[in-house]
Amino acid sequence: MRLDASLGSDPTAAAWRARQLEAVGYDGGWTSETNHDPFLPLVAAAEHTERLELGTNIAVAFARSPMTTAHLAWDLQLLSGGRFILGLGSQIKPHITRRFSMPWSRPAARMREYIEALHAIWGAWETGGRLNFRGDFYQHTLTNPMFVPPPQPHRRPEVYLAAVGPLMTRTAGQVADGLHCHGFTTADYIRDVTLPALREGEAATGRPGGEVRVSLLAMAVAAETAEAFEEHCRTMRMRIAFYGSTPAYRGVLEHHGWGDAQTELHALSVKGRWAEMADVIDDEMLHTIAAVGTPVEAAETLAERYGDLVDRLTLVTTLDDVPTGAKDTPPPAQPLLERLRGILHQQRR
Amino acid sequence: MHFDARIAANPTAAAQRARRTEEAGYDGIWVSETNHDPFPALTLAADSTERIEVGSDVVVALARSPMTTAYLAWDLQTLARGRFILGLGSQIRPHVTRRFDMPWSKPAARMQEYIEALHAIWDTWESGTRLDFRGEFYEHTLMTPMFAPPPQSHGRPKVYLGAVGPLMAQAAGRVADGLLCHSLATADYLREVTLPEMRKGQEDAGRTAGTVAVSATVLVVAAESSESLESQARGTRRTIALTGTVPAYGRVLEHHGWGDAHDELRALSKQGRWTDMPDVIDDEMLRTIAAVGTPAEVADTLVARYGDLADRLALVTTFDSTSTDPGTDSRSWTLLLEQLRRAVADRRPTTPDSLRPPG
Repeated sequence: MRLDASLGSDPTAAAWRARQLEAVGYDGGWTSETNHDPFLPLVAAAEHTERLELGTNIAVAFARSPMTTAHLAWDLQLLSGGRFILGLGSQIKPHITRRFSMPWSRPAARMREYIEALHAIWGAWETGGRLNFRGDFYQHTLTNPMFVPPPQPHRRPEVYLAAVGPLMTRTAGQVADGLHCHGFTTADYIRDVTLPALREGEAATGRPGGEVRVSLLAMAVAAETAEAFEEHCRTMRMRIAFYGSTPAYRGVLEHHGWGDAQTELHALSVKGRWAEMADVIDDEMLHTIAAVGTPVEAAETLAERYGDLVDRLTLVTTLDDVPTGAKDTPPPAQPLLERLRGILHQQRR
Repeated sequence: MHFDARIAANPTAAAQRARRTEEAGYDGIWVSETNHDPFPALTLAADSTERIEVGSDVVVALARSPMTTAYLAWDLQTLARGRFILGLGSQIRPHVTRRFDMPWSKPAARMQEYIEALHAIWDTWESGTRLDFRGEFYEHTLMTPMFAPPPQSHGRPKVYLGAVGPLMAQAAGRVADGLLCHSLATADYLREVTLPEMRKGQEDAGRTAGTVAVSATVLVVAAESSESLESQARGTRRTIALTGTVPAYGRVLEHHGWGDAHDELRALSKQGRWTDMPDVIDDEMLRTIAAVGTPAEVADTLVARYGDLADRLALVTTFDSTSTDPGTDSRSWTLLLEQLRRAVADRRPTTPDSLRPPG
C-alpha cells in the first residue's frame, strides 16, 4: 500500500512541501481544487522533487475542455518524468454552470466520455493519426503537427476518477486507472458498495477485476497527548459534520443507518448553525469514519481497516489543521506515517 | 522601451531558459500556446526569476472558462510577486470549436466580455462583493468564501490582448492593459490601422491615452557575416510565408500591396508545396516585416521603426543556432540587447533640442 499526503494548494508553498514529503518518505502528494488552480503547485513540485508521485485529487474536469486538460497532463507527465497522476472529479452542477459557466448534464456519462476523449487525444499524439473523436458531449476533430506535443518518453498519465455513488464508481471501473474515494467513505461502504460497483464497471468493459487502483483519503485523529485528544476529536467531528451536510455523501450515512443525522446536518448548515453541527457526530460515527487515537493507535486502526481494501491511502489528520509555525518543521503526521509503514512492512512479511 | 524574449513552452527546460534570459538582461519573457499548455512553463519562469516580467503571448482565451483563467492568472501573479502579464488571444474558429470543443461567435465582442468577466471575478476576490456577472457569452454568478483565493499584495495581473484587425484592436483599447501585435503586422500597419483603431476603443471607453501598453513582436535577422545573414533570412522568409497564409494576416499584406503574394502563398500551401513558399517573400517584404542586418543595424532599424509606436518589443530570432531564446546562445542575445540599449540612448539626446546652443 502506498502512503500519500496532501500537497496543499498554495502554489508558493508547493515546492517546499513536496520536498518535505519526499524527504520523510511519502509515496505521493496530491493537490485539490478549491480556491487555487490545482496544476500550478504540481509544476513547482515536479521541478523540485525526484521520486514523489504527484497528482490532483481532484481537478474539476467539467470546468475545462478535455483538450486543455490533455495538454496539461501531458506536460506534467513530461516534466515530472512519468510521476504525474491526473485525478478528475465532476464537482456539482451549480459550480460547473454558475461558477465556471460551463455545460453540465448526466455527469457519469459525461465523465466517461471526458476520459475517453483524453485517450483519443493522447492516442492521436502518440501515433500521429487523425483525431476524430465524436461523442455526445465532446467533439475533437482537429489537430495538426504544429499543435502536437513532442513524444512522451513515459507512459500516458494515469487517470483517476473521484466517485462516491455507484454510477460514477462504475464509470471509474469502465474507463479510469484509479478510483479516488473521499475521506468520508467508510471501510464498510467501500466493501459493500464501492468495490462491487467498481468490479461491475470493469467487467462491463472487459477489464480484469482489480485492474483499477483504489485510493482513499483516510481521516485520522492522531493526538500526541491526552490533553490534545479532545480538541482533535472536536476538530474531526466538525470536519465530518461539514462533509455530512452535503447531499453527495448521504448514501454513505444511509448505508450505516445514519440518514437522520444527514437530514439534521443539512438543515443546520442551511441555517448557518455551524457550531452545533459537530454535536450531531456521535462517538460511533466519529470512530467509524475516522481512525482515532494516538499516532500508534490510529496507524493500527488504518492498517487493519484498509490493509486489504485499498491500494493507496492519503493521510489526512487533524494535526494538519493546527498551524505548525515554522516552515522547516516536519509534516505533523510523520509519527503516524512511520508507524503505519512499520505495520504494513511486517504484514507483508 | 522594454526588450523581451520568448522562451519555448516545453516545460522541461523552461526554468533554466528563463533564468538565462533574465541574466542576459532582458525585461520580459513571453510564452506562447501551440503544442504545450503555456502555464507550466510560465510557472517555472515565474518561480525561477526575480526581476523579469513573465507573460503569455498568447494563451488561447476562448479555449478556457474565464473562471479557470482567473485562478491561473491570480496564482501566477502571486508566484511571480507581481511580475505576471496575462496575454490573451482568440485563436481562430476551427481551433476553438474543433480542437478545443468550445463555443465561438463574434470574437472581438466575446474577447471584450471575457476580459470584463475576469475583472468581475477578481473584483469579488478583492472586495468580497457578490459575483453577479451576466454577459452575452459568459455568466459567473456563484462564488463562496471557500473558493475565493486569499488576498494578494501585488494587485491584479495586467491583461494584454492580441489583435490584428480593427474590431479586436478596438476591444483592446476598451478593456485591455496592453496590446500584443503580431510579428506580421508591420510598423506601417500598426501606425495606420491597428493603433488608430485601438485608440478609438480607448476613447469610446473614456480611458486616457497611454493606458494601453503596446507590445510589438518583431522578426530579427542579425549577423556579422553576409553568409550567415542569408541562411537566417531563409528561415525568416519561411516563417513569414507560413504565417502569411492565415487570412487574418492577409489584410496586412494587402495593406502593402502584396495581396497577390498572399493568394500565391495560400495556393502553394493547399498544394503542399512548402519548400517553394519562402521564395514568394521577396527582399522588400522581408526587410519591411523583419529587421535585417548586423546587430547594430538591426538595433537602429528597430528603434527607428518602433520608437514612437511601441512600449516593448518581443524579439524573435534564431541567430545561427536552432535555439530561439537566450537560453542556449546567450552571447548573440546579449550583444543584440547591448546594441538595442545603445540605439535607444543614441536616439534620445541627453540635452533637449530647445536647450542646445544654436548652430
